[in-house]
Amino acid sequence: MMPLDRGGIAALGGSMKKIFGIAALAALVAGAVWYFFLRDDPVRNAKKVAEAEAQVRLAEYPQQVLWGDTHLHTDNSIDAFGFGTRLGPDAALRFARGDMVTATTGIEAQLARPLDFLVIADHSDALGSTKRLYDAPRIAIQDETLLRWHDMMHESPKQSQLAIAELITAASNGTLPETLTDPEVQEENNRTVWTEHLATLDKYYEPGKFTPIAGYEWTLMPGGNNLHRVVMYRDGYERTSQTLPAPALDSEINSLFDHMDAYEKATGGKVLAIPHNSNLSNGLMFEMTQADGGPMTAETARRRAMREPVVEATQIKGDSESHPFLSPNDEFASFGDVGWELGNLSLTQDKEKSMFAGEYLREALKRGLSIEQQTGVNPYKFGMIGSTDSHTSLATADEDNFFGKHTGNEPNAERANAPQNLGTRVGRFGWNYLAGGYAAVWAKANTRAEIFDAMMRREVYATTGPRMTVRFFGGFDFEGTDFAGDWVAQAYANGVPMGGDLEASGAAPQFIVSALKDPDGAHLDRIQIVKGWISADGTMQEKVFDVIWSDQNVRRKVGGKVPAVGNSVDISKATYTNDIGVAELQTVWTDPEYRDGQNAFYYVRVLEIPTPRWVLFDAIRFGIELSEDAMKNAVAQERGYTSPIWVGRAPAPEA
Amino acid sequence: MSLKGWLHEPLFHFLLAGAALFLFFAWKGEPADPSSRTIAITQEDRAGMALQWEQMMQRPPTDAELDFLTGTWLREEILYREALRLGLDRDDAVVRKRMANKMNFLATSIAETAKPGEETLKTWLADNPQRFTQDTAYSFDQLFFAEKIDAESAAARLAGDADWDGMGEAISLPPSVDDWSARQIDGRFGLRFAEGLQSLGKLNEWSPPIMSGFGWHLVRLRGRELGEIPPLDDIRDQVENDWRAKTMEARRDDAYQLLRDAYEVSVER
Repeated sequence: MMPLDRGGIAALGGSMKKIFGIAALAALVAGAVWYFFLRDDPVRNAKKVAEAEAQVRLAEYPQQVLWGDTHLHTDNSIDAFGFGTRLGPDAALRFARGDMVTATTGIEAQLARPLDFLVIADHSDALGSTKRLYDAPRIAIQDETLLRWHDMMHESPKQSQLAIAELITAASNGTLPETLTDPEVQEENNRTVWTEHLATLDKYYEPGKFTPIAGYEWTLMPGGNNLHRVVMYRDGYERTSQTLPAPALDSEINSLFDHMDAYEKATGGKVLAIPHNSNLSNGLMFEMTQADGGPMTAETARRRAMREPVVEATQIKGDSESHPFLSPNDEFASFGDVGWELGNLSLTQDKEKSMFAGEYLREALKRGLSIEQQTGVNPYKFGMIGSTDSHTSLATADEDNFFGKHTGNEPNAERANAPQNLGTRVGRFGWNYLAGGYAAVWAKANTRAEIFDAMMRREVYATTGPRMTVRFFGGFDFEGTDFAGDWVAQAYANGVPMGGDLEASGAAPQFIVSALKDPDGAHLDRIQIVKGWISADGTMQEKVFDVIWSDQNVRRKVGGKVPAVGNSVDISKATYTNDIGVAELQTVWTDPEYRDGQNAFYYVRVLEIPTPRWVLFDAIRFGIELSEDAMKNAVAQERGYTSPIWVGRAPAPEA
Repeated sequence: MSLKGWLHEPLFHFLLAGAALFLFFAWKGEPADPSSRTIAITQEDRAGMALQWEQMMQRPPTDAELDFLTGTWLREEILYREALRLGLDRDDAVVRKRMANKMNFLATSIAETAKPGEETLKTWLADNPQRFTQDTAYSFDQLFFAEKIDAESAAARLAGDADWDGMGEAISLPPSVDDWSARQIDGRFGLRFAEGLQSLGKLNEWSPPIMSGFGWHLVRLRGRELGEIPPLDDIRDQVENDWRAKTMEARRDDAYQLLRDAYEVSVER
């Protein structure tokens, strides 16, 4: 080592610039050598991956459910980076496959059980541009607003979050600086980030074991009304590198569908879209009409159904399955609604009660039946999944391992009680946020193609975090089901799995439902079947049936309702015991109220016994006192929602 | 501090000396040197400005624009130098952060772009086999019981050579498993069961009751194939990614520690 005394430094002082010049040059040369000679070749990698994929054995029918997150943001997302995350796709993939990583705020993070697949869905608009803005030399930034954001981002995490809050507001008001919206500049930038990202995905793909899937988030939000979709590809580098994520700002849904059509036509690949946070769309996600207010055409309905086979039912920003206003007889309808029901995403527009019907999935499924009656096509024939929408590069939906919506809310003593809405601190509170959910997929193997195909046939379900195993079949000949031996194979042979269509036969439909608890989680309280149908007078109806529950000999129905399972949570320790509930629930259920000619859907809701939410784990971990409202929401019954099975006349042949 | 291989790299000494100097001046401010009041803007400097413009605007600047850029740059450079003389860089959060980031970058940039050699990767694999060992494969039979007492009485009957077929309670878990990875077992049977399974010693013997998230199990381990470390060629990318991530981390920390050791720090409490 060189002595660091003052004389030595003075002697070297004049040549400092030269030293730096040489160092910079050396770095540049090293970079060039790497780029031209040593870099991994993505095309070669893609070939290797395709060979490994071909080796994976397919099961005859789906044997083991796969767990994943279809909605994760990394530092390539304009807001995630601004909110402070400095973890990129590499760290995100390592975390999801089970490795330990260090979160941006320095906390070590690891999943107790790895995920089977991951869709990194960074915002297509201005992909990677906050990261680029941050790294840009100050002199190169001409725009005053960008320059201010640049400085704020460098100043402190808090300032960085404010900058991003401004940016989101500017995006929803359409006042973003030109360089962020200039299509040519954006296209060039997007191509670099996108192709680099695709190559990274291939590096981590282990067919049969861990599957990174290409995708992005298409972030349409007119006036702050959330019409976001995650777009997800079936294909690898060879095809996906021929396209670019579609821009969403100032766009409309048909241009996304056009973009998807064009991709499939040009490459022979396949792509689907997953709407999310319909609960923040102020009634726009599942309208009865076309976007322009006219009656919905069969063509629009067909396109919607084909392009959007699954919807995110639950995630960090609330749960969209049901709302008490729409389902007053359902005592479990309010899960994850508090805070989110106040207004749209940015809270720039309050919500009126009439808007709920266009936001919650149960109502949307009913609207789908109604529109089908008028046009012959059901636009809202979707399955359900859960995901995180985490902006920390960490795909975790576990209550005791919650890393927050964004980096500013990685574990800390304030986050549970503090006001919080995106980057601003107005209108919503930390405890409104859920820990997020997972997507459960019944695929025949853990590969990109099989996971995608399972989503297309809607053989998927959502959970709010627990990894419960849920089977659901519809048919007319399930009397002999004994839940032993090869009953699953028999059910596939004699019926349709979740997500399927059951052609009406005149007889009442039967359903096999089986739920096994999360092996490391809480016992189950009950299984419910939610039915929606159109009555003879054309009105939309719904009913929730308790079909099987724990301790049936002592929990008898009172006034048609099963009494609550009880509560074993110790609030002072954030623990619970499995003394109540049961490990597995299975039954065959026949709809006692079915009328011949009825068009209906049926989906399963599985409830766990009450367990502590992340806010309670925080309270114990940091020794804080929760606010009164947070305390009221410190314990909840986590749950799963399956895709529906539709019963009706055979669909009219395609024109 | 142990001197690792990379500490002997001359380029590292070079960068470190430069970095130390830079830190010193960032902290102390440049000594007033009359010669620094001379500013020569070279062709290369101007080409650099033109290139940055082009990256932003997607076209080269006109002559007038380049002159304007040069003027802006010069103005900024003079104000920058005077600001340093006045010590305005001190206690400035933006400058502090930026300089610290540059130091981190200097420490890791070589690792980020370096292509590790065959030997480096081989050593890395040999030193960290647990990160690359393929899953150990288990084969076993199991019987499920909701209550421990039922599991215990069944264990007693099995010890008396009773037939295991038909014993145990119904649950959606496979009674027999062949060549499952630890990962598969974690997913299907849960972590607590997997722990119990790992502690079983003898093959082909029924275990005492082991606990899972479902209840209690009697387990007969039939086989345990220890995972092999795959040849480097099969997992080169994985090893390289791992080496890079860990090395960058280590270099950042070591470089800091080296600097840190030269400081005497006291914190009043």
